[in-house]
Amino acid sequence: MSKNVNSTQFRTVDVDAYDEDNYEDDARETGDSGAAEVTERANQVRGLLNQLKTKEALKMALKNPPVGNKDASVKEQNYETVVSVLKSFKAADIDAAVADLDMVEIDILMKYLYKGFTCSPDKAASLLQWHEKVVAKGGLGSIVRVMVDRKGI
Amino acid sequence: MTTKTEQQLFVGSPVTSHAFNGALDKLVVSDNSTTVYIYAKEANGKWTKETELQKHIERVKCVDWAPKTNRIATCAGDRNAYVWNLNETTGVWAPSLVLLRIERAATYIRWSPAEDRFAVGSGARLLSVCFYENEHDWWVSKHIKKPIRSTILCVDWHPSNYILAIGSCDFKCRVFSSALKETYDKPETSGWMPKLSKFATMLAEFSTQGWVHSVKFSPSGDKLAWVAHDASINIVHMDNHDTVIRSLTPSLPILTVIWASENSVVCGGHDNFPSLFNIVAGESVSKGIRLDVKEKKAGGGMSAMARFKALDRTGDDTKDASLDTTHQNSIIELRVVKSDATGNCSQFSSIGMDGKIVHWDLDALASSISDLKI
Repeated sequence: MSKNVNSTQFRTVDVDAYDEDNYEDDARETGDSGAAEVTERANQVRGLLNQLKTKEALKMALKNPPVGNKDASVKEQNYETVVSVLKSFKAADIDAAVADLDMVEIDILMKYLYKGFTCSPDKAASLLQWHEKVVAKGGLGSIVRVMVDRKGI
Repeated sequence: MTTKTEQQLFVGSPVTSHAFNGALDKLVVSDNSTTVYIYAKEANGKWTKETELQKHIERVKCVDWAPKTNRIATCAGDRNAYVWNLNETTGVWAPSLVLLRIERAATYIRWSPAEDRFAVGSGARLLSVCFYENEHDWWVSKHIKKPIRSTILCVDWHPSNYILAIGSCDFKCRVFSSALKETYDKPETSGWMPKLSKFATMLAEFSTQGWVHSVKFSPSGDKLAWVAHDASINIVHMDNHDTVIRSLTPSLPILTVIWASENSVVCGGHDNFPSLFNIVAGESVSKGIRLDVKEKKAGGGMSAMARFKALDRTGDDTKDASLDTTHQNSIIELRVVKSDATGNCSQFSSIGMDGKIVHWDLDALASSISDLKI
């Protein structure tokens, strides 16, 4: 049998990059926070958790997520802040905390829960407890909004 | 008063598009095939097949009936659209080809309010506005291309006949001017078009997180509503483009929207039932009121045959496999059937992926559902 000595480099070419009509998402500012604000928020949340003000800590953690930020570490830091708040809740208090949130905050919380399912599968049990309560309030629509989100939280 | 009348039009295929004629006694439908069917209403209220219109060679995506001039427009995946004219003496519908000049499938077609032109959306990322050219006896098109960047899913005409709203897969809803000099249009300025703008000028652009499935101007044309795949309902008033009333619904994505009055919309989609949403104080949208009232099945329970079938298949003979909604699958399109002069809808119809067409009576529903206020 003859050996194929031709190059297969062509298989690694990104064809879409050469397509003039290739769809690209808008690179718009969406009012998200920068690194400084995320660190500031992490400190404030830690403070509230130390005072056992878990509901206020949750609301603060879900404010203004760094959605458009290109720096992955900033997003990681905000994610850690949210997870630390979720961990501090007792199972019985989750209901009351979720009832306090409006639809926008519910959507942000749902996005973090799904991020948690992928990044921290060891915490899945507690995240699922939250998921059940959030779906009761946000409905399947909040899950759909996590799926269609193109920017990633 | 019956709140709804349902009919299983097709078995095994969805009803992908429908439109009524002016007298509401004929219905044109497509069943996701290359054939278009015209149904006539019998004395007992049921629709029966009257004619088949066969000209397209790919799936028919959308149909529309111009009520006053009695013409049918159809568009299909074969990149063509046809305008069908009825020969009064022979009763035969004759097609005339429309030169769309598109390289992809046509996805949506709508006659304008004056019925002298129609708009065709396509996968070629452009909209064709087609009008009749007398000298050559054919329909010609002009394109609206920039800045649309993906397939157009829905189009709606403003009552003035010169403004269009387009919803597309690039997550945007846009409003364009479509005044043509070829037809000697004399548009007037309005809230949407403060300065006279020529054809294809973009007048407004709104973003969502998902594909825009349906877009509709309110009966007066002052407000615009659109629904997207991120399960949201968005409404904007022409005077203030920055304040979009956005309702993040807890339901599955909505596929179609119609205005029930100047301040309320009826939506249907993947949840299989139509719901009514009111605009509260011009600022927010109320919770959706489900218009499909769950009725207890008469005769209580399943037939013996159904029981054994269910027992064989799932090992459980207590649950009926059908859904408790009238439509057994997603609602694809809603149409206003009857409305008064101010645009208050009293009857509307829905078609679904289950092959059913359901006729809903809003007045009867208003009296039967206790907290329904339109």
